[in-house]
Amino acid sequence: MAVSLSKGQKVDLTKSNPGLKKIIVGLGWDTNKYDGGQDFDLDASAFILGDGGKVKDEKDFVFYNNPTGAQGALVHTGDNRSGIGDGDDEQINIDISKIPADVQKIAFAITIHDAEVRKQNFGQVANAYVRVINEETGAELIRYDLGEDFSIETAIVLAEVYRNGTEWKFNAIGSGFQGGLSALCANFGLSVA
Amino acid sequence: MGINLSKGERINLSKEAPSLKKVGVGLGWDTNSTDTGVDFDLDASVFMLGANGKIPSEKHFIFYNNLTSPDGGVKHTGDNLTGAGDGDDETLFIELAKVDAAINELVFVVTIHEAEKRKQNFGQVRNAFIRLYDQETNKEVAKFELDEDFSKETAVEFGKLYKKDGQWRFQAVGQGYNSGLQGFVDKYFDN
Repeated sequence: MAVSLSKGQKVDLTKSNPGLKKIIVGLGWDTNKYDGGQDFDLDASAFILGDGGKVKDEKDFVFYNNPTGAQGALVHTGDNRSGIGDGDDEQINIDISKIPADVQKIAFAITIHDAEVRKQNFGQVANAYVRVINEETGAELIRYDLGEDFSIETAIVLAEVYRNGTEWKFNAIGSGFQGGLSALCANFGLSVA
Repeated sequence: MGINLSKGERINLSKEAPSLKKVGVGLGWDTNSTDTGVDFDLDASVFMLGANGKIPSEKHFIFYNNLTSPDGGVKHTGDNLTGAGDGDDETLFIELAKVDAAINELVFVVTIHEAEKRKQNFGQVRNAFIRLYDQETNKEVAKFELDEDFSKETAVEFGKLYKKDGQWRFQAVGQGYNSGLQGFVDKYFDN
């Protein structure tokens, strides 16, 4: 059984799952159904962070247009434009054993594409979650359901995996931003033109 | 530079800082950044305990609503509502000679204001530390950086000053609790 986390909670990832090498971080969401208006396009992304919680450069921001990071340890498997259906809407595959030593932390976020133009926010998004799956066995290890605490946000950091000594841990974050992807990038030390 | 303490480590202030009379105790923290949602308000407080490990009276619980101990030995410089910025977020001044001889221990705790209502916990707090410095010279005596390994805790004992053989010592504690400030109140008040 997967461990279900509440906001702020931290759990061991590698310690309680010895031998864990490859994980899939799955992110999912549903959007409010309504006729007319514009489609929702939510995007999952990952920020690869070094000391001080910042990215080194733009290559450390992994998203649909830059699907590979951390020298190949992270692979974003592609954009889902509609969020339709059950299960993960987007996934990021991580080979833990390949993560370069200078990476301290990887943060996972969901942003709403064109949120401002389309007048959309996380108040219209339901059932958002992040989960960690053991790629080799398919077993779900950790799950964090975001709940309904968000309204005006257009970007949310859902979770982080981070180094703790020689192990990796998982932290349920749930931090929201109003400024969309650019606010998020600024938070992690990346300036977007 | 002071001594960097690790969790559980103790130092004897009479030996490490023999001239120390007025101790500044700075406590600091950062919270997960976000530009929406509810603010974090963390509060530092001190329980002054007698030899029995209990608090002699409620006046010996020093916090933002009771800033000075009856003996005048412990002073809280006031509440910081945001925790923004570098450096100490809240500060206490301890004048060791003034602390009532019946007090054996000063326990420094940090709690999250309205943690339950705001759904906040120490898993969302980073870079927490407690440091001791000489108020007269501003020289740091010791610092304990709590590692980030808290999760659902809503109250953390950062450290304690305690008397042994007539000498003041400091221990880096870093112990988290899930029951907020009330947990400490229950623990230290003799009901």
